Amino acid sequence: MTVAMESGGARRSLVDRVYGLLRSIPTWVLWIIVMIWSVPSLSLFLNSWRARDAQRNSGWWTISPSDLTLSNYDYIFRASAASTIGESLLNSMAIAVPATIIPIAIATFAAYAFAWIDFKGRKVLFIATVSLLAIPLQVALIPLLQMYVNGAHYTLPWLDKTITILPDFDLVNTSTAVWLTHTGFALPFAIFLLHNYISSLPKDVFEAARIDGADHFTIFWRLVLPLSVPVLAAFAIFQFLWTWNDFLIANTMAGTNPDARPTTIFIATLAGDFGSNEHLLPAAAFVQAFIPLVVFFSLQRYFVRGLLAGSVKG
Amino acid sequence: MGDIAGKFLTTLITVVIAVAVSGGLWVGANLLFNQVRSSYVRYRALAWGACGFAIGVLLAGNRITVGATSDGGRIASFASWVWLPALAAIAVGIVGAALAIITASNIRLAIGAAGLGGTGIALGLLVDAEWRPSVSIAALIIWTFVIAAVGAGGGRLLGHDPIPGALTGAALGWIIGAWAAPSLGTGSTIWSAIALGVPGALIGVRAARSPIADMAERNRVDKRSRSVVFLGPALLFITAALVIPTIRTIYLSLLDRESTEFVWFSNYVTIFKDPKALDLSMWSSIFTSRLFWIGLVLLVVFVILGLRDKRQTGRMVELGSSGMAPLIGGGVLVAFAVFTVLRGTLINNLWWVLAVTLFSTSLGLAIAVLADGAKFERVAKSVIFMPMAISLVGASVVWRFMYIARDSSKSQTGVMNALWVGLGRLSTGSGLPTIIAGIALAIVLVLLLGAVARALSRNEPARAVMPGAIFILVGWFAWRFWGITGGGIGGFRFNDAGVQLADPINFIQEPPFNNFWLMVVLIWIQTGFAMVILSAAIKAVPTELIEAARVDGASTSQIFWRVTLPQIATTIGVVVTTLIVLVMKVFDIVKVMTNGNFGTEVLANNMYREAFSNFNTGVGAALAALIFVSVLPVMYINIRRMQREG
Repeated sequence: MTVAMESGGARRSLVDRVYGLLRSIPTWVLWIIVMIWSVPSLSLFLNSWRARDAQRNSGWWTISPSDLTLSNYDYIFRASAASTIGESLLNSMAIAVPATIIPIAIATFAAYAFAWIDFKGRKVLFIATVSLLAIPLQVALIPLLQMYVNGAHYTLPWLDKTITILPDFDLVNTSTAVWLTHTGFALPFAIFLLHNYISSLPKDVFEAARIDGADHFTIFWRLVLPLSVPVLAAFAIFQFLWTWNDFLIANTMAGTNPDARPTTIFIATLAGDFGSNEHLLPAAAFVQAFIPLVVFFSLQRYFVRGLLAGSVKG
Repeated sequence: MGDIAGKFLTTLITVVIAVAVSGGLWVGANLLFNQVRSSYVRYRALAWGACGFAIGVLLAGNRITVGATSDGGRIASFASWVWLPALAAIAVGIVGAALAIITASNIRLAIGAAGLGGTGIALGLLVDAEWRPSVSIAALIIWTFVIAAVGAGGGRLLGHDPIPGALTGAALGWIIGAWAAPSLGTGSTIWSAIALGVPGALIGVRAARSPIADMAERNRVDKRSRSVVFLGPALLFITAALVIPTIRTIYLSLLDRESTEFVWFSNYVTIFKDPKALDLSMWSSIFTSRLFWIGLVLLVVFVILGLRDKRQTGRMVELGSSGMAPLIGGGVLVAFAVFTVLRGTLINNLWWVLAVTLFSTSLGLAIAVLADGAKFERVAKSVIFMPMAISLVGASVVWRFMYIARDSSKSQTGVMNALWVGLGRLSTGSGLPTIIAGIALAIVLVLLLGAVARALSRNEPARAVMPGAIFILVGWFAWRFWGITGGGIGGFRFNDAGVQLADPINFIQEPPFNNFWLMVVLIWIQTGFAMVILSAAIKAVPTELIEAARVDGASTSQIFWRVTLPQIATTIGVVVTTLIVLVMKVFDIVKVMTNGNFGTEVLANNMYREAFSNFNTGVGAALAALIFVSVLPVMYINIRRMQREG
């Protein structure tokens, strides 16, 4: 009797142990997914330290300490056939920095006006501005490029006179054209995001300041800006990464000028000439991703916040 | 490096100067409008002075007036450009200040008319010979009266006094009639003086008619001017970069490729008639598609399970019921079968939308659930989320190295093909690894069968579905692995001599599934996004709800399907709509990996190619408009939701 019970108990515990293992499957699945997810980046990173022949003839998993070389990094930073990645990093900076700072300034003004200046038609104008989020940037590319090439002219109907609204500043193929475009596209979203935050600041602070005789400019400068730092940081990070990683606008507005192209175009060009420079791609892609990754790992909280809010960008 | 640094410095200086000047203008405008409430006279003097200066710059800058020259030294030429604006500023500023001080209405009228009219005459006398208009009096009178009438009518409509509107309109009409309508360069000095003097006087009278502002009016001016100062830059940029270009694109899409002739909708017709955009000719081969039949079988399974559920609960399908997995699985397989058979740009876009949205959302949700409360949760989530920080171009490069396919005689350097070819060797081999792998497969199958049997014996068919489905998948894999049919699985083939060779898959170039391998790149990136948002939502589900369900005896999976999932439904909606919009515009990945070749074209890349490589502006604009129209409904939903939340 006792023997039977014991053996039954032992059998059950074996079954339980097996199903206990099964129950820990979710954790295993999670870590397997994590491993799969890291393989692509890992393979790129490891390959960037291997010489051309090693990359061509064997997979990155055969890496050994004797393989490691700096030659790829050395080559892309030293003068190569077309241009160096150092130059395109500077170009990326010349695009991303103004394209981050200028929309923040302009959008903060506008968000403040929408939130705290009680003018006529405020609500309609705000809804109209936010609705522009719906415009995919492809829609504006052709006319914008035409404007950068030719300036803007308008022929008055009936009078048959052409007036020049914008002269041709020769902006095409410059980083200025790229960040100007980014600025325009960033604004609806920036205004929306900043307005959400600024309009939720406590009302009594503003009323007290108004009663003390402060004008809008002082309130904006002394109250709103300091209080909005978190949301400004979130937007700044989102916008910086967006412009740093952008390819479409840069390629359209400055793609044919090797002196103005940012890192994304540098890499796409490297990837375009199949074969010959393929061994440089991992190093170049890693250099390109370096700054976003630093931002990502150091400011993850702000980054997530910006991204969550940025999910609606057009 | 020197010239690079130099170039960078130049760019930097340009940007700094541009920002400083715009910032200075903006702050200056604010300081100016600060005067509205503190010192009205100073405000009027400065504001009017600024207007006078702007008019002077407009005239001197365009060399409409005499005297401006670039000869001589820098200072001399600068002075030659600036003396006229400065004088105009002083004259107009004095008139503005006088109108803010003097109250007697007759004197006000005299000062306004004489001051601005006199400035106008002076400017008119200085107009360069080639700009002097030869005025036709009829046109002048007609323009003046028509626009004055419009101004008066507008004022009436808004419920104001019509006279100021009429005066402004008359001034504007006079300027158009005298300067825009006739030919320039043949007229006399007298006429150019009259042509500028009269509108100046009209504006002066209009300004003098309105009394000096009281405090309420000054507050109104302050508010109105502030809203312009704060909103102006943003509205200017938005109008120039978004509103006008969008309208113009739609207009261009109705013109031909050089934008010279109206062709109405023929660009759109071209797009839809192009077999590259929509090719339905192979529809009948869907009946030979394995995906299609497996999908159909799964749908039949769903119907059987659903009917059974309906008898018990009254509903064919609900969250977490046994019929759901085969429904989704079958639906996806059938959809994939359709997308591989019907080809073209539009079909590809639909495929992208379905695959990326579905896989990113469901994988993101699965990872969020699995990671919730797990050890090293943050580390796991960081790794999944990291691709979001990488550019799409960079991600495409990353995956190109995953997909490398090399000739069968060489060793594979891409992970995917190394695995695929390795699997072929393992499956067809006869060594110890093959035996171990075979036994491991058998053990997994037995365990899965055990799980199915356990669920069925406890009369919980819903819990048998997942292990059952995995059993069928693993079983099929084992069937092929053991070589029961087909002689093994993996990347191998036999040449004519019967020697076994590696047979890698050319992931990027073999249609139609190369589309899917491109989608994997975006799935790899966007899963992290879905995970972060859904994870935040899951953590926000009130613990009391879950505790209550647990006390009532709900199982873990029941809690997930019946409590957590309905709670995060809105967030799932956010993720799905966001992804749909993003995927509709997918460009970088296709551009870098295939440039639309090998049957992988999508709308955004097609638009880029037509507009900027083929220089077919009409079709390019039409494609852009098509993208716009297709994201419009989703964006509408998104914006409505944002406004509810905001």
